[in-house]
Amino acid sequence: MTLNAQATEPGTPSDSQGMAIVARTQSQMVRRRFFRHRAALVGMIMFGFVIVLAFSSIGFAGIPGWWDKTYLDTGPLTNQGKPTLSLIPEFLGGTGIHLGEHPFGQDDIGIDYFALTMRGAQQSIIIAFVVGIVATLTGAVVGALAGYFRGRLEAVLMRLTDVMITIPVLVIAAVVGRMMGDSGALVLGVFLGLVTWPTLGRLVRGEFLSLREKEFVEAARAIGTRPSRIIFRHILPNTIGVIIVSATLGIASAVLLESALSFLGLGIQAPDTSLGQLISRYRSAMVVRPWLFWWPGMFIIMIALSINFIGDGLRDAFDPRQTRVRA
Amino acid sequence: MTTPNVPIEPRKGDVHTYDIAPNVLDASGEVHVGLTLDAVRPPSEEEILKVDNLTVEFPTDDGVVRAVRGVSYSLREREVLGIVGESGSGKSVSSLAVMGLLPKSARVKGQILFRGDDMLKMSARKQRSLRGRKIAMVFQDPMTALNPVHTVGDQLAEAVLAHELMPRKSALARAKEMLDLVGIPQAEARLRSYPHEFSGGMRQRAMIAMAVINNPDIIIADEPTTALDVTVQAQILEKLLEVKDAVNAAIVLITHDLGVIAGMAHRVLVMYAGRPVEVGETDPVFEEPRMPYTAGLLGSIPSLENSGDRLRPIKGTPPSLINMPAGCPFSPRCPLADDTCRTAEPELAETDSGGHFAACHHWDRLAAVEDPTVFFRTESETKA
Amino acid sequence: MIVFIARRLVISFFVLLAATFIIFVLTALSGDPLEDLRQDNSPNKANKIADRTERMELDVPIPVRYLGWLGRIVRGELGVNRDGQDVAPLLGHALSATLQLVLAATVLAIVVGIVVGIVSALRQYSGFDYSVTFAAFVCFSLPIFWIAVMLKQYMAIEFNNWLKDPGIPPTVIGVLTLLGGLIFGALTVGDRKRRLLAFLAGAAISGALFTLLSVTRWFADPGFGLPLVLAISLAAAVGFTVLSAGLRQRGPLYAALAAALIGAVASQVLAPMLVDPTWLEIIGLALVTVVVCVGLGYGLGGFQRRQAITASVLTGLFTGAVIFLDHMLQAFASYSKVVRGRPISTIGARTPNFAGDFWQLNLDSAGHLLLPSMALILVSLATYTRYSRASMLEVMNQDYVRTARAKGLPERTVVVKHAFRNGLIPVTTLMAFDFAGVIGGAVVTENVFGWQGMGNLFIKGLREVDPAPVMAFFIVTGTAIVVFNMIADILYAYLDPRIRLS
Ligand SMILES: Nc1ncnc2c1ncn2[C@@H]1O[C@H](COP(=O)(O)OP(=O)(O)OP(=O)(O)O)[C@@H](O)[C@H]1O
Ligand code: SF4
Ligand SMILES: [Mg+2]
Repeated sequence: MTLNAQATEPGTPSDSQGMAIVARTQSQMVRRRFFRHRAALVGMIMFGFVIVLAFSSIGFAGIPGWWDKTYLDTGPLTNQGKPTLSLIPEFLGGTGIHLGEHPFGQDDIGIDYFALTMRGAQQSIIIAFVVGIVATLTGAVVGALAGYFRGRLEAVLMRLTDVMITIPVLVIAAVVGRMMGDSGALVLGVFLGLVTWPTLGRLVRGEFLSLREKEFVEAARAIGTRPSRIIFRHILPNTIGVIIVSATLGIASAVLLESALSFLGLGIQAPDTSLGQLISRYRSAMVVRPWLFWWPGMFIIMIALSINFIGDGLRDAFDPRQTRVRA
Repeated sequence: MTTPNVPIEPRKGDVHTYDIAPNVLDASGEVHVGLTLDAVRPPSEEEILKVDNLTVEFPTDDGVVRAVRGVSYSLREREVLGIVGESGSGKSVSSLAVMGLLPKSARVKGQILFRGDDMLKMSARKQRSLRGRKIAMVFQDPMTALNPVHTVGDQLAEAVLAHELMPRKSALARAKEMLDLVGIPQAEARLRSYPHEFSGGMRQRAMIAMAVINNPDIIIADEPTTALDVTVQAQILEKLLEVKDAVNAAIVLITHDLGVIAGMAHRVLVMYAGRPVEVGETDPVFEEPRMPYTAGLLGSIPSLENSGDRLRPIKGTPPSLINMPAGCPFSPRCPLADDTCRTAEPELAETDSGGHFAACHHWDRLAAVEDPTVFFRTESETKA
Repeated sequence: MIVFIARRLVISFFVLLAATFIIFVLTALSGDPLEDLRQDNSPNKANKIADRTERMELDVPIPVRYLGWLGRIVRGELGVNRDGQDVAPLLGHALSATLQLVLAATVLAIVVGIVVGIVSALRQYSGFDYSVTFAAFVCFSLPIFWIAVMLKQYMAIEFNNWLKDPGIPPTVIGVLTLLGGLIFGALTVGDRKRRLLAFLAGAAISGALFTLLSVTRWFADPGFGLPLVLAISLAAAVGFTVLSAGLRQRGPLYAALAAALIGAVASQVLAPMLVDPTWLEIIGLALVTVVVCVGLGYGLGGFQRRQAITASVLTGLFTGAVIFLDHMLQAFASYSKVVRGRPISTIGARTPNFAGDFWQLNLDSAGHLLLPSMALILVSLATYTRYSRASMLEVMNQDYVRTARAKGLPERTVVVKHAFRNGLIPVTTLMAFDFAGVIGGAVVTENVFGWQGMGNLFIKGLREVDPAPVMAFFIVTGTAIVVFNMIADILYAYLDPRIRLS
């Protein structure tokens, strides 16, 4: 007796007259909304710029870059190590746009600070991504298992999450950093990821709890689909938005976490470096050589801010609820 | 400190003397239908609400959504006006416009005259003083329409206190009276309950109580039973009718259910793609539809006569409200459509019977056949 | 409710227990506790190593060591660090400073964050909303330690220098004027003309204010004085009344105004008592204020008794806070002399050997707390702002808000009574999470500002692979987190009857 139960038939005349509502696929819609998010676009560009600069300048993993100095070699101190970068063109009273010998200056023993900052940025980015990926995978698996199977497994996993959440992230990360700091960025990242997953775990479990009651899951279960298939083929794709968004934001906070650890001396150990470690190493030089403090700080902010912007764009793209049209 | 006695505004209908029909499932499990439209006081001639050429547009990222494109109707005292139409045809938006509850982004044009005053031109304060006092609304989903963190009694009393100066106690007493009226047992105790302690049907009763607590002139009920159990639906509708009579209000009843309109509305307005396409007294419209869309709707209802047949839904979907094509919006789905239909949009015009309007170039072709739903039958059906 | 709390407590206890085990084991595994001694060249090296091995039970398996620690904790002992010092006294000093810092930052972040978030939501798509959103993103992306160092370097030193001659240069006044105008303009909704008017009004007010402050050298010897206290309190009374009851009826307004007036008069009458009060007396006064104000609201409220009580209590407490602030400011000049004109401190949690009256001591704490809290608060502030904004936007879209409007309630009631409370519910779940984050931030902040606080205890213990101080730190912070969790849960249950009754 209700009116809105009429079936839409494909190929009815309405299509040819352009009157049917254009059905867009979810991914098309997500992409469209994302690229309309201005901050997210700025974030993408900014982040792309930092990545390209960091990895192409001093090279990576044995591949040489276009910058001729390294982050380990000392050189003669020129101009007290002040930055030679200039961005003010001559007609505005500056010295013209050029990089100069040491665009970011030099540290007290003459290491080129540009090379050092780039190395720091590389390490920080690597750690952040490894943390993000490991934490996301762990959190998604734990959340999915707990949310799908309920019962004892859920109880155990959720208590585990409770325990992890009671420990401030920085505290457990500091302990892990103390343990793994001198094993390199990759190992440190993996271990940090293994202690920062609980937030995502909870989130995914919540999604699973509500999705497992949905008709399509019931239907799949009723026809005897294997649990692993239900989890991976039916439910997980529906939580992908939540996971991607939270992974992105997780990467941004991992950048900050790593830098805080390194600042406390519990992260990457010298002679290798990271952005946080640079700030820590030169914090006492703040008054005489402020640039040793400014450059790494700016890069941390640039990386974290751009990833946060991208995350916000993704959130809006996947969950347009705030702009939802409702009757 | 003693509170001064504040005189309560004299009321139009006297609530207490009204004889409340019991309307629960009776012993046999059938819904006891105690009240019909014929049993309540008939409408008077006085027009209390006149909506004239109302249009509502929403600017969105994808373009301007033209949700309502020129709706006009009038409502007399005590009258029940039914509004039907497919999902998205603008029923809710046009009623929310009357209530002044559309989101800020909405662009509203036209006139909404309440007893001759244009509500769209009133000050916000004046408009607010009508809202809930003279025009009240019952929403579709009682599960979400009540605030979960306040008691039912508080939410009812608040509706009174928004418009009248009186002690909270008196407002709560009025609330209890109203819960009694809508048939909620142990009203006194129920005032202190939270919405989640109520069943869906009870919540909707509470919503109806809230709507009539200020003796409104008009109750707008937007699909009041869609979210409810079928067994409860009839009770709620009957309650609505009874309560309307108790407070002497008119009703704008929005529904998907043609059966409900047939039994409950004096007049009916059929909407399609943001416009009224057929208006008139309920019986003529349903018996002799003059617009193919209405005919199609009637044809899609399972009834006693065609219970053996297949249902005949109208094929296709309503047009997008963003890029409305020229011509009759129903033309892509209309079996009678021709080139005129595809180029010129028909105006709402009087048909063969008086007071019966339809927006169709070819209403006379419907008039020419015995059963207008015939146009929606498939060929095989027609042969058989 | 009690069952609910009790159950939560039991669960929390076991969760905490499990967490201590994890932390203990990881800390013990995190490095070589004898590292420094191995590089030692002194003749009694072997002796030292043996000594420490015995003290730290290094020859026992870690789980057994943990049980030993647990046994001591149960008896109320925190153990000794690797050098044989008792941890308890170390903790004692650190505890109050850190808790002060963490609580100050959390409370401030919650209050300011929620207010800003809600205003931002109610003014969605306004200039204010965009600015707040952008600022929140920047705050999310700032490394705490970096900001802390910056604040220390620029804020403290420059500000202290400026205080020597606190005139505001015309250019700065210009900038502040512009800023005031922009804030007013951004908060206003409506057409261009209204926004322009708001901008001009805001600019005029802030321009006049800062010029006045500069000309009178107010910052050299700040304070309000009775007339200003009265004016501020009366304005607050009107504000709170508008928020809680509206001005349609007079009852609540009179109650609130009376509360402000009585407060201001009381500040004069009680002046002798306020020369050098104790915290206990201050709390007592606050309680008296609440009682008096409830009475006022009850008596004068008329039909809107509840709202009147809310308005008068808020006004009364606010007036009290203004008077408190006034006294602190009055003490500023003398305090500033004692610390040789450098009231904003960059090192430590208090001035060593400082003695003064109640107000001066408070100023001293405040001066030391100011910068660390500012650094610490940024992330939480951003989190609360974003969260309450999103929550409020969601709630404003709910059906029951539409129902409230359909009743003809004024927008104020719709927002304050129907939306606000529902909007707070999800925010309470954030509190527990965020609190743990603040504690992590405090570790970093204390490090920058050289506090001998809990963070220091933890970091030093961790560097030395010494579980006892690390565990002492964790017992305290973990308990604080659990307690805070509990408060959040109770608040949740209070706000949401669906939880309360089930
Ligand atoms: N705030 C809004 N912004 C944009 N479009 C809107 C908004 N509110 C409603 N619409 C659109 O207006 C059209 C009419 O909606 P309306 O709710 O009036 O339909 P309806 O007839 O009540 O349908 P239903 O039977 O499903 O309740 C729909 O296409 C809807 O998408
Ligand atoms: S105008 Fe034409 S297309 Fe529209 S309903 Fe009438 S016959 Fe059908
Ligand atoms: Mg609707």
